[in-house]
Amino acid sequence: MGRPTNLSFSIIAAIIGLMVAIQFQTVREPEVRDTRDTWQLREDLMKEKELQSKLLLEIRSNEEKVAKYETERQQSKEEVLRETLTELKDEAGLTEVTGPGLTLSIAPAFNLVVDGDNPPSISPDMLKRLLNELNMYGAQHVSIDDERVINTTVIRDINRVTKINGHSLNRFPIEIKVIAENAEAAEKLYNRMKVSTVAEDFFIDNLEVKVNRPENELIIPAYQDTIRIRYMEPVKKDKGGGS
Amino acid sequence: MWLPIMGLIIGVIIGLLTDITIPEEYSNYLSIAILAALDTLFGGIRAQLQNIYDEKVFVSGFFFNIVLAASLAFLGVHLGVDLYLAAVFAFGVRLFQNIAVIRRILLTKWSTTSEK
Repeated sequence: MGRPTNLSFSIIAAIIGLMVAIQFQTVREPEVRDTRDTWQLREDLMKEKELQSKLLLEIRSNEEKVAKYETERQQSKEEVLRETLTELKDEAGLTEVTGPGLTLSIAPAFNLVVDGDNPPSISPDMLKRLLNELNMYGAQHVSIDDERVINTTVIRDINRVTKINGHSLNRFPIEIKVIAENAEAAEKLYNRMKVSTVAEDFFIDNLEVKVNRPENELIIPAYQDTIRIRYMEPVKKDKGGGS
Repeated sequence: MWLPIMGLIIGVIIGLLTDITIPEEYSNYLSIAILAALDTLFGGIRAQLQNIYDEKVFVSGFFFNIVLAASLAFLGVHLGVDLYLAAVFAFGVRLFQNIAVIRRILLTKWSTTSEK
């Protein structure tokens, strides 16, 4: 045997050895036979059952802990404050509101417009009147041309353009969305607006008010600016309650 | 003479130490490849003893047989015919023949040396 012959033989032998070893390891796997008898199996089963019950106990105690923490969290002052805050925000109009309501659209009555007249414009007084009427008849959230109406909303004439919160109302039709307390209230509001005299008042300004049928899912956007409070400050605790 | 045996042992040790396993479904191919490799190895040893050994034939035969056997098994799996049995049969017969030849040669060698 020459040296190179030996070398190639050895390399191939090594490869064969490797293959055999791999095959051996692959095939060997189900090597352990289960030779336990009934009693041993029973004992093992008991052990596993004990482990299971222990684990179940642990799970239960952890769940109890979670529930405890949950109730603590719910009863905490923080949660109460948070709830109050959301309620107040809702009331102040800082959140988007969805609910049953109706839409009114105000558009120029073109058959009443005489050629050469100024294009009709909505006057702030009329709008305020309409708003009052709506509020009287059970409107809860109102938006005019997607501008949310809140307690501090200003409707006024600036340079002959009626503005609401700084948003010009010069594009017709102007859509007024109103959300009532529930579907029934919305229906009532619709009926009342139908017979209201406000529409006739708008007619004088060559405007037509169309009251649309109530819808179940009306979305009124949130008030977009921040509310600035300039003349209010919180009551100081130590000074109050003197009487 | 001892170098190939050393190689075999080293290969086995490496294989056992590295803990390589192949998926169960491929173990068929590996077993047929091992059979082919063993056949080639014994063929090589016989050729060596008969003095007709050619290294190129040996090395190329080794790899070619492995690939052929594995692809035959692969084809068999895909055709639904147990084609690997053909390889097992061919290699098995050849293995026995080769080992028989090696045995005879070794026996004659041994008897001639003992006669001397």
